[in-house]
Amino acid sequence: MEKMVIKDSSYRIKKAKILHTKKMTENEKFFEIVLKSGESLDHEPGQFVMISLLGIGEIPISVCSSPTRRDSFDICVRAVGKVTTCIHKLEAGDEVGIRGPYGKGFPVSILEGNSLLIIAGGLGIAPLRSLINYVLANRRDFGMVHILLGCKEPKELLFSEELEQWNERTDLYYACTVDRAAPDWAGNVGLITTLIPGVDIEPVRTFAAVVGPPVMYKFVIKELLAKEIPERQILLSFERHMKCGNGKCGRCQIQSLYCCQDGPVFNYEQIKNMSEAF
Amino acid sequence: MYVILGKERFNDFISRLSEMRRLFAPAVLKGYNNFAFEKVTSGKEIAIKYIPTILPPKKFFIPQRETLLEFNIAQGIDAEAVVEYEPMTIFGVHTCDLAGIQCLNMVFSERPKDYNYLTRGSKIVLIGLECNEYCDEYASCNLVNATFPCGGYDLFFTDLGDYFVIHVNTRSGDEIIKEIGSFEKVDTSHINELEKLREKKRKVFGNEVPIEGKHIPELFDRSFGASVWKDLEERCLACGNCTNVCPTCYCFDIRDEVELNLESGIRYRVWYSCQLEPFAKVAGGINFRKERSARQKHRYYRKFRYPVDRFTRFFCTGCGRCTRTCMAGISLKETLNDLIKESES
Amino acid sequence: MEKPKVAFFDFACCEGCQLQVANIGEGLLDVLGSIDVVEFREVMSEKWDKELDVAIIEGSITNPHAVERIKQIRERAKVLIAYGSCATIGGVNGMKNNFSFDDIRKYVYGDSYQFFPTEITKAVHQAVKVDYFVNGCPIYIPEFITVLKAVLQGIPYDVPDYPVCVECKLNENVCMYDREVTCLGTVTKAGCNSWCINNGNICYGCRGMVSNPNEKGAQDVLTKYKIPMDLVLNKMNMYNKCREIF
Repeated sequence: MEKMVIKDSSYRIKKAKILHTKKMTENEKFFEIVLKSGESLDHEPGQFVMISLLGIGEIPISVCSSPTRRDSFDICVRAVGKVTTCIHKLEAGDEVGIRGPYGKGFPVSILEGNSLLIIAGGLGIAPLRSLINYVLANRRDFGMVHILLGCKEPKELLFSEELEQWNERTDLYYACTVDRAAPDWAGNVGLITTLIPGVDIEPVRTFAAVVGPPVMYKFVIKELLAKEIPERQILLSFERHMKCGNGKCGRCQIQSLYCCQDGPVFNYEQIKNMSEAF
Repeated sequence: MYVILGKERFNDFISRLSEMRRLFAPAVLKGYNNFAFEKVTSGKEIAIKYIPTILPPKKFFIPQRETLLEFNIAQGIDAEAVVEYEPMTIFGVHTCDLAGIQCLNMVFSERPKDYNYLTRGSKIVLIGLECNEYCDEYASCNLVNATFPCGGYDLFFTDLGDYFVIHVNTRSGDEIIKEIGSFEKVDTSHINELEKLREKKRKVFGNEVPIEGKHIPELFDRSFGASVWKDLEERCLACGNCTNVCPTCYCFDIRDEVELNLESGIRYRVWYSCQLEPFAKVAGGINFRKERSARQKHRYYRKFRYPVDRFTRFFCTGCGRCTRTCMAGISLKETLNDLIKESES
Repeated sequence: MEKPKVAFFDFACCEGCQLQVANIGEGLLDVLGSIDVVEFREVMSEKWDKELDVAIIEGSITNPHAVERIKQIRERAKVLIAYGSCATIGGVNGMKNNFSFDDIRKYVYGDSYQFFPTEITKAVHQAVKVDYFVNGCPIYIPEFITVLKAVLQGIPYDVPDYPVCVECKLNENVCMYDREVTCLGTVTKAGCNSWCINNGNICYGCRGMVSNPNEKGAQDVLTKYKIPMDLVLNKMNMYNKCREIF
């Protein structure tokens, strides 16, 4: 058996260093990461990277910072499995391996000149934070911007400081709801779908960007169609267990589509007839 | 270009071939009607007449377990992507398996390219062998146009009684012919014999399923909700045999392994199957193909529908392995027949 | 970093899994380089009654004394590994559960049987919490080493929850059913690299059943191959009797 190094292997990892971490909730932790080569990650909002803990494994995580910030990038990790639990143990100065960015994100050049209705459920705010911060950095290029946010309980809200800033801004419309209120909660209570009817939009000039748990999509799409947003303008990001990121290993397939290469962001028209998507 | 090899020179040819590179060829597994591609050094070890081997030759292109990355984490992280390969010749590959390799070539050369596959594949010389007869009732190579050779080999052997007629398809094929040098020139009578055999085959290798290949994608477009899949739910044992033996199934899992010192290790990929329960499960616990019926359906769509859009060909080569190996007796031809019946009713 | 203190204990078993560990060969040096073995009856005479980082348990729990002893071990061990069929699934000791315990005791101990209390055979996790499982009769050493590494790394190890067929096919074995022999590989958890079948033997189901077997489908297969159901159940019960407890 002979062996050789492949410089352009799609499995090669880039070395990266954690600059800063922050425990956000009981299950979620925030990481700011920089590539050691000094290059920019150069991602699009909605794309994901493969994060490696060598010897433990590799997992797909969406980038949650805007590509307009080029010197470092952020991820938000929920501890649910072997690798994510180990990532939570990492602190500033620790090293990780990075592959990517992968997939098709939100098509920001196409979104320009339109209004945006951004709908985030739970951890779905992570990839959407990348889009939101991109839009805010290029605010003049977009029409109205609506952000609707939902999660189970107030203590699960992510990026709470930024949410407050968004709430105070006059150049966007922000609303938040929780499924179950806590005693000190003064905001909306109810499913995220209850916020949609009240949003004032011009449907033909609006793109909706939706990310949330699988159970959310069916109901949110119904409300968006009721608002007469065209199917092609409803953008959805799907969670699957990508292993290779290269459209090969088959793990993330939704019928004929590879979530890692053809997605994770799809427009509703592309996938509306795919029962495996929902 | 064609050349002739007299049968009396076959053993000598194989020995010489095995001296050039490691040689693998179909061999009978003692006492049972099972075959496998194994290392050989003489013609006597080779089963010239054989039904498809347990595993297809994909095992040489994507080994069951393959290192992708070597790393050291003693101080910081240090990792290098590697490929392990071995120059070899595979003799006796049937047209169904050549078609299977062509499918894999398409997948792994699609961007982002998989250099592990491509590097290894570039070191493999392929020598095809024609099936003169229909192998058994499980085959359906004619349905998917894999009965006759169409590229994908360096040399292609057809057994015509006292001699083989050999099609030389590539320069590396030509080099073997030149180096071994026991071949004779072909004349028109040989080519006529070859044509006669193919003509006979066209009659014998009839349509195995009452549908023309070009109508299969439409059949599948109509069948996503068919009750045929529900029937498979009760039968399938989810053992993954059908995908492991499939010449075009290539799905894999990626895992890490460290040494006991926890300082160095490898990342490797292993064959994995869409038929196994955890395949489409995400970290939160949701399984997007929880039912065995959904997983079987996915397998069939990945053979007959999805690749048609992506690669303009079926990813079934008609070898019949999935049916032969299925303990539960799930038969590819039977499923297609049932789908046709259901869509007509 | 200080090496973790590891002790091997045995309950009702043949001690064959300990023998497997003792017979690792060259690799044993690497193992001993990463752990500090403080008690291991089959290879050393020292005993250890203090706190443990890792307790490695062989054998099933078959009498009140064993229940007490395993609880005490659990209390002083940070991590507990059950290894071998007896410890992980009850194993052959589970066959006792088929009979009246008085009959069994009389048969084994004769007139003085009353001095030998017994109770229903349990796997270790049916008595105390188990952190890692190394299935098999005996354990498959490469898997044991994999689990040991997982323990050292502080990450979980999941026993593959798909049938032995998966690994058997990768090893390109002729299917036992093609040889007209009954094999339990179709419903038994993989992870052993189809060790027995590679060596010409059938799968006896020593690693326990997959968690979601298609029972109806498996019965159809038996019918297809004309194999009587009770023959297979008997084979299954050789190792898997204890799965009925819960």
